[in-house]
Amino acid sequence: MNAPSPVVRLEGLSKRYGPLMALDSLTLDIQAGEIFALLGPNGAGKTTLIGCVSGLTLPSSGSARVMGHDVQTDYRQTRRVVGLVPQELNYDPFFTVEETLRFQAGYFGVKLTEERLREILDALDLTRKRKAGTRELSGGMKRRLLIGKALVHDPKVLFLDEPTAGVDVELRRDLWAYVRRLREGGTTIVLTTHYLEEAQELADRVGIISHGKLRLVEEKDALMARLGRKTLRLVLGAPIARLPEALASAGASLLEGGRIVELTQPAGAELGPIVARSLEAGLVLRDLETRRTDLEAIYVELLTQDAGRAS
Amino acid sequence: MSGLGSKAEQGMKPAPATSEWRRELRGPWTLFEKEVRRFLRVPGQTIVSPVITTVLYLVVFGSALGGNLREIQGVPYLSFIVPGLVMLGVISNSFLNTSSSMFIMKLQETVVDLLISPMRYGEIVAAMVGAASVRALTVGLLTWAVAIVAQGELLLVHVGYAIAFPVLTSVGLAAVGLFVGIWAEKFEHVNLVPTFVITPLTFLGGVFYDVSQLPKVFATLSFFNPILYLVEGMRYALLGTSTVDPRLSLLFLLVFDALALWLCHFVLRRGWKLRS
Repeated sequence: MNAPSPVVRLEGLSKRYGPLMALDSLTLDIQAGEIFALLGPNGAGKTTLIGCVSGLTLPSSGSARVMGHDVQTDYRQTRRVVGLVPQELNYDPFFTVEETLRFQAGYFGVKLTEERLREILDALDLTRKRKAGTRELSGGMKRRLLIGKALVHDPKVLFLDEPTAGVDVELRRDLWAYVRRLREGGTTIVLTTHYLEEAQELADRVGIISHGKLRLVEEKDALMARLGRKTLRLVLGAPIARLPEALASAGASLLEGGRIVELTQPAGAELGPIVARSLEAGLVLRDLETRRTDLEAIYVELLTQDAGRAS
Repeated sequence: MSGLGSKAEQGMKPAPATSEWRRELRGPWTLFEKEVRRFLRVPGQTIVSPVITTVLYLVVFGSALGGNLREIQGVPYLSFIVPGLVMLGVISNSFLNTSSSMFIMKLQETVVDLLISPMRYGEIVAAMVGAASVRALTVGLLTWAVAIVAQGELLLVHVGYAIAFPVLTSVGLAAVGLFVGIWAEKFEHVNLVPTFVITPLTFLGGVFYDVSQLPKVFATLSFFNPILYLVEGMRYALLGTSTVDPRLSLLFLLVFDALALWLCHFVLRRGWKLRS
């Protein structure tokens, strides 16, 4: 059976600004219904990639297709199914929240019904601000209005470019919940973020981009299992002079004058047997800590390797 | 964000299906409506102020200074300057509406909303030019109405020309304004064209005098001024007198409009200054 066609397909996509290669022959498929997080440092090419698909940036070469249509030659078809929450807050102070949403829907050929308007306002907690001028909104409200604008035409693919930049923790968590529910409703989501916690929390797949090239694309869970590490730290009741053989052979180290035993294992390893061997060796445990590397550590490690290769 | 759960779990309901042609027209119509509402939000600045400025010209040049002048081309001086003043309002307001709107959209980055929309480039041009024409024609119409009240007589001879000249002028100048708004990178650029091109050409385009009475060199030079054809065309429409054949003026205007509209469409399609 053939694999389902990707919702977004980028093939050899490049964008050059003078001597700078913002995107360098990038190839990527985004599957229907997934949340794909695009990670990378500033200037890596994340926004350029989103711009190439949404119509804000003209690719230098290669192709970008949405639901089988080319974003340049069939731009009317592709733009009807793409929603964009841009990185920068943009709003027209002449108009109210309601007018802003109605105009945005109109641009996409959609008449915003009262029911749908209420649904969006309610979902984004903007109902009380329906008649308020956009100038009167707080930063968080403006961010939510941007999301509302991107949703008025019920896009099949939603691009979120740094959606929670400058947003407080509570609102960030609310937005995450909302993004998950949009995905449950069938929307494919591509987000760029600087908050790795955000990618870890939301993403099904992660792409790491650096210097315009995709360095890695992988299922988040598989990536965490492959590159993630678990560290076991045993705090001893009394210091010891040398490690028991069972722990030394497992790769443990003795730290802080013999008071701490530390052992790092792959994310999938079981730590129970190690603890059992420590007890069998007669160690007196006062405390026990475990620590997992998060996506951030993996990301930093990969980028460090990347920088090392480049230099 | 209360009430998210149940809504999103059901998924956002798709917008109701609309017939294809309605959907096709809704985009440009919405942009047109938004642009009209935008200038109506500040009517003192966009409608009343230009009319007052033009009426002041009428009072100062027509009544005060013109009191000593008898007639030009067989019409009282006060009547003679009315067509030019109407066109002055039409020209400047059509240009200002599109240039400022596009430039402010770029400044506020709300132009992104248009660039990611499925609207055709021609539809964007038509909507923005159409809204600017509404503003320009409103100012022109009010100026004409004030002039009629001041004169105590109806200044209208050729109805067809009286509609065609201001409408076509507003379309052409609005398109030029749109182009300048796309090109401009700072406010100074937006003001450059009205200050150094439109206003001087308008004042030297026979609004306040009959170019045929100028010394030969200046009279000849005046015929290279495109604004002259617009003013003289309107003068023929309202007063029945003109130094230029109105058919020639109309032809010139049609060519000018076509070029200006094509230029806007071309730069939008290419993404010049708008898409990176």
